[in-house]
Amino acid sequence: MAEPYLKVSGLVKRFGPFTALGGVDLEVYPGEVHALLGDNGAGKSTLIKTLAGVHQPTEGQIYIEGKPVQFRSPRDASGAGIGTVYQDLALNQLMSVTRNFFMGRELKGPLGTLRMDEMNQIAHDEMLKIGIDFSDPTQAVGTMSGGQRQTLAIARAIYFGAKVLILDEPTSALGQKQQMGVLKTIKKVRARGDIAIIFITHNEIHSRLVGDRFTFLALGKVIGAGKAEDISDKEMRRLMSGGAEMGDLEQELSAI
Amino acid sequence: MADSSESDRLQKETGFQKLIRRPEIGAFIVMVIIIVALAIASDMKAFNALGLKNNIKIISQYGIIAIGAALLMIAGEFDLSIGSMIGFAGMSMALMLKWGLPFGLGEATPFTAFFITLIMTLSIGYIIGTIVVRSGLSSFIVTLGFLFFLRGVTEVAFRLINQSTQVSGLPDYKEESWFANILGGEVFGWFYDAWYWIGTKVSSGIDMNADMSRAERIELIEYLGLLNINRRMEQWVTGFDARFMWFIVIAVVAYFILSRTQIGNWIYATGDNKEAARANGVPVNRVKIGLFMCTAFCATMFAACQVFDTNTSDAAKGNLMELFAIAIAVVGGTLMTGGFGSVLGVVFGAITVGLVANAVFFIPAIDGAWFRVFLGAILLAAVFANERIRKRITGGI
Repeated sequence: MAEPYLKVSGLVKRFGPFTALGGVDLEVYPGEVHALLGDNGAGKSTLIKTLAGVHQPTEGQIYIEGKPVQFRSPRDASGAGIGTVYQDLALNQLMSVTRNFFMGRELKGPLGTLRMDEMNQIAHDEMLKIGIDFSDPTQAVGTMSGGQRQTLAIARAIYFGAKVLILDEPTSALGQKQQMGVLKTIKKVRARGDIAIIFITHNEIHSRLVGDRFTFLALGKVIGAGKAEDISDKEMRRLMSGGAEMGDLEQELSAI
Repeated sequence: MADSSESDRLQKETGFQKLIRRPEIGAFIVMVIIIVALAIASDMKAFNALGLKNNIKIISQYGIIAIGAALLMIAGEFDLSIGSMIGFAGMSMALMLKWGLPFGLGEATPFTAFFITLIMTLSIGYIIGTIVVRSGLSSFIVTLGFLFFLRGVTEVAFRLINQSTQVSGLPDYKEESWFANILGGEVFGWFYDAWYWIGTKVSSGIDMNADMSRAERIELIEYLGLLNINRRMEQWVTGFDARFMWFIVIAVVAYFILSRTQIGNWIYATGDNKEAARANGVPVNRVKIGLFMCTAFCATMFAACQVFDTNTSDAAKGNLMELFAIAIAVVGGTLMTGGFGSVLGVVFGAITVGLVANAVFFIPAIDGAWFRVFLGAILLAAVFANERIRKRITGGI
């Protein structure tokens, strides 16, 4: 078994009296899609924000390639190869694809000039690698579809050195076709083999389609985890609904 | 094939669609209309030798401050203190020139007066920017505070030091000081020399003594006036005001920075979505503070050109100029909410507004107040047009 790139053990995060995460373990391997599932309020957001360096853990330890690390800021985390693609994607709609791709990390020539042609080429090539041939990277991001914006944000994170790609509900708020496009993108990134993907979703079907490994969260705790082939559909539905038996839910519903 | 078909749809954007998506396109069309209309209405007087000089003077004045205001607006902030900053800088330079440097440092030269003033105005710009980014308050209210504060300081300083809110009768520094001359003197004399030379060549081919009616003769003389051959008679024009050169310098540098450099990308990113910019490592606060200093610099240049041109200053200088600067930036296609705009558009806007402001001198029949009616109307039209462009860009599929 290969070494996990990112390992989390016994992660606890408390906000004052509120325990958001109550001891979470997680292992993420390169070339795998790790689907992180759970209901609203299960602690998914807190977990990824802790991994991204936004929050500091109260207890527990994060390891990168076996070495314990501490992230004091998002910059530390991205320096360690953790690239987070949030739901709002951190894109500027009025700016061109290229200008967004290199925002804050522009390629400079003399006098701080932008090496625009080179940047256009890189933006185009990087997006092509994971699935979309966006012929004109000088167009504004506002003209792109939601799925294409996801691809841009993912390509950007990979280009700037992400080894762990955290995708925060990338398929929500998209139409069916675009959801499939994003899933294809995820598959393409996975096929590179050197990047670990944490895929956060509500959607059982999507996680089934691309996930190699699952972790289910409920009320800040891991209630189930395992490889895709070890978890049956029925088990998965049970865990998705926070551990309650489907039968119980059906009874509750029919009683109303 | 979902994504490839989407990109196919995007590829269909034609050159024309790209053109009408540019921020400066509306300003360009309005400018062309105004130039043609003014040329016809003034019987070309607006563009004869003296007319051109006078028009370019006011266009340059507006342009210098509007470019500063536009860069700041693209980064998502306003500066209402520009006009008061002009008054403050003019006061500072004039008082130093008349009463000597502060703290008994002796006589002021144009050079020292300008640079000490510039240090002060840049510091004030830095303070305004720092207050805005640190407090998170709207720049509207912070700079409104400085509008009153600086105007008040200007008047008080005038009365305390000078016993009058006006300085006049300063020596004509541009006669001796090269430094005063590049701010208040004349530039591009070769332009009028060339015009005069061409006019003389063309008119030498015309026989004035030929048999012609009185009406024909008047028409010919008017035509010759346009050729500038009479510059030794009623129109003695030897060059443009130096502020024209500064307008060009500031416009070219601003264009270069905004469109071609990393800082330009940061300015757009800051104004479009501050949080997204910050998440990607753009130093948002430094960009904003720098741009508040930039508007202070533009206001200082405006004041310096005025002081060394006229050798006077008074406490009311620059009044309302902040509003003209913002209006011209908007007419030039700058988005009120930030993230979008171009220096070229602002140049077009300054030409449009400058020409209309001066139109009354060339068309005596119209009331000068029509200028403000016009400005109000195109300002509103520009806001709607800019909003449409923004929607077209962010509309998506």
